[in-house]
Amino acid sequence: MNIPSRQWRLAVATTAAGLSIAAHAADPIKIGISIAQSPPGSVVQGMQVKDGLEIIKDQVNKAGGALGRSIELVYEDNQGVPEKGRAATEKLITRDKVVAVTGGHQSSVCLAEIEVAKRYNVPYVNTNCWSDDVRKKEYPQVFNPGNYNSRVGQAMAETIAAMRVKRVIALVENTDYGIGQAKAVAEALKQKAPSVEYKYETLDRAGKDFTPAVLPLRANPPEMILTMLLPPAAYIVMNQLYEQGVAPSAKTWLYDGAGIADYPDFWQNVKEAGKYMLEFGLYHPQMKTPKLGLEVAKTYQQRTKNEPNRLIFQAADSLLLIVDAIKQAKGTDPNAMIKALETMKFEGVRGEFRFSKEPGYKFHQWVEIPYVNYQLTEVNQPVSKSLLVQGPGIPLSVDKLKKPAK
Amino acid sequence: MLNVDLFINGLIIGLFYALMAVGLTLIFGILKVVNFAHGEFYMVGAYTYTLAAFKLGFDPWLALPLALAAGAFAGWLTERTLMRPLYAGYSSWGLMRDEYAVVVTFALSLLLINLVDKVVGPYPQRGPGLVDIPRMALGPIMLSGQKLAATGMSIAMIAGLALFLRYSLWGRQIQAVAQNRLGASLAGIDTARASSLVFALSGALAALAGALLAPIINASPDVGAFPAIKSYVIVVLGGMGSMPGSIAASLALGVLESFGAVYISYDYRDTFGLAILMLVLIFRPQGLFGERGREV
Repeated sequence: MNIPSRQWRLAVATTAAGLSIAAHAADPIKIGISIAQSPPGSVVQGMQVKDGLEIIKDQVNKAGGALGRSIELVYEDNQGVPEKGRAATEKLITRDKVVAVTGGHQSSVCLAEIEVAKRYNVPYVNTNCWSDDVRKKEYPQVFNPGNYNSRVGQAMAETIAAMRVKRVIALVENTDYGIGQAKAVAEALKQKAPSVEYKYETLDRAGKDFTPAVLPLRANPPEMILTMLLPPAAYIVMNQLYEQGVAPSAKTWLYDGAGIADYPDFWQNVKEAGKYMLEFGLYHPQMKTPKLGLEVAKTYQQRTKNEPNRLIFQAADSLLLIVDAIKQAKGTDPNAMIKALETMKFEGVRGEFRFSKEPGYKFHQWVEIPYVNYQLTEVNQPVSKSLLVQGPGIPLSVDKLKKPAK
Repeated sequence: MLNVDLFINGLIIGLFYALMAVGLTLIFGILKVVNFAHGEFYMVGAYTYTLAAFKLGFDPWLALPLALAAGAFAGWLTERTLMRPLYAGYSSWGLMRDEYAVVVTFALSLLLINLVDKVVGPYPQRGPGLVDIPRMALGPIMLSGQKLAATGMSIAMIAGLALFLRYSLWGRQIQAVAQNRLGASLAGIDTARASSLVFALSGALAALAGALLAPIINASPDVGAFPAIKSYVIVVLGGMGSMPGSIAASLALGVLESFGAVYISYDYRDTFGLAILMLVLIFRPQGLFGERGREV
């Protein structure tokens, strides 16, 4: 039987297209993850973000994936260094062809990475970069389900005002995050407690000896010391404050704004220096948590034997947001995904929210992100046993706070 | 009172710098190369001490010599496997000595950091104290029992090393090789063995510093970078290869940083040493205790 060549070509083309579509449909959807997996970045944070992402990836894939395709996470190690983050994002987008990027947990790195995401018009879900500057750029591709410095500034200023302290010194790391948060506290204090004498000292985040910064505080102790640093510098500062008898002490409160008390290695590194520390946090086991969040917490505990912490939930929400956006956009077209993220009402592991479209630091931000204040009253105390003094539905109650005898 | 505090704390941190820097000085003295993996010997000591105590249940006082031995072994192994080509009869190596040493020790540094990061994990780990006193007042000074113990042991180690180099047979052999490798060899000294010994000593001192400071500066994969950078500055400041020079420069740097951080700015603390280094290189290039040149 003779088949005309035109029909042959049509048949071959149709079959090839069909096979291609079938193969494409079976291909996993790649999502890029840029985190610190080696020093000098915060590898501790990077590992927690990875743990949270893996839990959700497994859940989503077990439930059939997104649009019938499984989710594949492609990891890049940015070492907490901005230029490496920029290169990692470039590689994820151009070589690995990821449909979105997430995982960012250090502000200086996020600020470099969002430039790449903007250039290639790829959705970027910021997991844990607190610097307001990430929002103030108002890039349509960038969405922020995590915490932000202005929020911390307001919360800490409220606590400082309620505690009626008059002289406050902040020790902050010399990064976009640290300096940004110190300035956010200063701004908020102008409104909430203008009489407070406040100043901040920047410390090298790679530094190992902070005694020269601590000794003048011993000579002239303030009523409160704020710390806004990530480990390991944060732990060393706390130990040296304690060693010099500066804080926590009968004279001086210690108030951490970086949320480090729920890190798995916290107590091993600070011991007595952590007792009586007041902590700003984004998760406390006594907080009301949605069912999905409880499931994530349970899985995390089974996998790691550690108490869950904020980064697990933030990472879980970051990936869930991308998966939901793919589903709502019915594909991986970046413009459709960005539109979906802008308009969707998201139900995540930490609650329900929509992204704000207000300009400035609220742009594409979960504005009313829940937070807590709690105090560690014993050495080796798990967060679940700590003294919760403020949280969603729990008004600030500073009268409960305890101070060391000397 | 603040000034007394600053001075004493500056001296203490200077002593810790010295423990690191003398090892680097010894290596430079004998091989005329800079060991860029020196900070990682410090890290090996910090981890050996911490893990031996926490994972293997060793008493901290027993974990300390174990850390020292681990550092000595790491130094010896580095010399035997990576540094030997510098003087083991490879004629072309001699011409590219500096480049080779920089590349190979820098590569070793990166390898060790990443190896520890993957094998032990990225979490910082605070070592157990030799003395379980979190803080104590010593006159006007506040310090932990660990810091006091570390200070005492640093003084003892540096003094012991000075006596060893000056009076022991091996020490005098090391001095001879440092002065003139060929001449020492012609006099019957085993220069290769002297080099091995120097690397082992250097590794042991750095590891001891890491172990002593692990309860103060928590062990982490990149913990060696900070003391190593200070040591490079100190070695040049004191005079390349001069042990008294490196000790004096260490103490001076510790005190200078301590006062500068308070009276100038903490932000520029790490730049004070570099600024002094530049001045020394301009006005006294041989360093504080170095000799301008020597040829046989």
